[in-house]
Amino acid sequence: MFEVLFEHIDKKITLTKEEENKLTPFFIPKKYRKRQYVLQQGDICKYIAFVEKGMLRSFQVDDKGNEHVIQFAPEGWWIADNYSFLTGSPSSYDIDVLEDAEVLLITQTALEEMLQAIPVMERYMRILMQNSLISMQNRIACTLGSNAEERYQGVLKALPNIAQRVPQHMLASFLGITPETLSRVRRQLLKNS
Amino acid sequence: MGATFVVLNQRSNMMKTKQTIAIIGATGSMGTAIAKCLAQASYRLLLMGSDENKLQNLQDNIKQLNAAADADWLLCPIDASWEADIIILAVPYIAEKELAPKIAAVATGKIVISISNPITADFTGSLLPDHTSAGEELQQLLPHSKIIKTFNTTFAANFGQPVFAGNTADCFLAGNSDEALQQTAVLVEAVGFKPIITGDIKKSRTLENMQILLMQLGIKNHYNWRAGWKILHD
Repeated sequence: MFEVLFEHIDKKITLTKEEENKLTPFFIPKKYRKRQYVLQQGDICKYIAFVEKGMLRSFQVDDKGNEHVIQFAPEGWWIADNYSFLTGSPSSYDIDVLEDAEVLLITQTALEEMLQAIPVMERYMRILMQNSLISMQNRIACTLGSNAEERYQGVLKALPNIAQRVPQHMLASFLGITPETLSRVRRQLLKNS
Repeated sequence: MGATFVVLNQRSNMMKTKQTIAIIGATGSMGTAIAKCLAQASYRLLLMGSDENKLQNLQDNIKQLNAAADADWLLCPIDASWEADIIILAVPYIAEKELAPKIAAVATGKIVISISNPITADFTGSLLPDHTSAGEELQQLLPHSKIIKTFNTTFAANFGQPVFAGNTADCFLAGNSDEALQQTAVLVEAVGFKPIITGDIKKSRTLENMQILLMQLGIKNHYNWRAGWKILHD
């Protein structure tokens, strides 16, 4: 139930067995089925979720009803509406389940208590925040300056099998291009390889 | 008291993300009564029992009552609890104690509702000494869950008809987490009772003994399971 989380933590810091045992009660283990909502726009994001198995995504719906994918979160990824989680404001995102999932949820109160109980986890959280900032900056730079092919290759680097796991229109939405353009890019890359 | 209802209604309407409620023992009389009432509200229900035919019949009944109801059934209490935000143990006291260790790992951080009363087989009294209760025992067995004692002072026959002589029956709640008590009060109100938060889980001792007394009086005075508790006040 905690295997992937421990693996993820282990890449950044070292936890003793005792600290691992202390850690688990702070998380709510939850199973979700495909198409279920974890969070709906307008609700306050009360949890950050770590994906042990399956795939979640966050997205925004514009005035015309179009979905804009913000993030894909397969196993080993964290996902939340950080703004809503940290400020207690209603979320502007939806988070739903693309593949049956097992996740670990943590509330803000539990997170604070966990950081006090296991101080070394502060370092883990700091590294997470740094990585999140880097990827956010990359995403902005990519959207402003990269062409469709560069964007596609960028996402394949971060999420190698994403193209096999999510529908093409969602991947196109994440990249900010049309499904037709994504199709063309994929054909071109196949031809070049 | 009217104000309490308004606040609870507002809170229940505010949340768009559906909560999943697992009803363990859904085909028993209390489980079925709770499931049918909750099917009218905006929850996703997971009906857990041991008899596939009974579960399918219950799911069919629920769909007849409310075609839009979101209800599914399954046979494993661990999987049902794992998927749930709120777990209702609609089982007798002894079964509740047996179930607790099985679901402990997947019930961490979740609301677990205990409806049981530790009554002797001959209805003469409690199986437990005065210094504890089924609610407190369950909290010890599931230390990382938020145990709420409720629905233990209501008979199955009263669900769907919680009004007696013009009075909506009270439904008492006890637990150690204020947030869990508030969330469960919304659920109790959705089922039709008037929620009354009594205090921490130690209040289970009183609540369980109240129902034991009501059962004894019901037998003596032939209430025919149509009886409930109501606090009268100005």
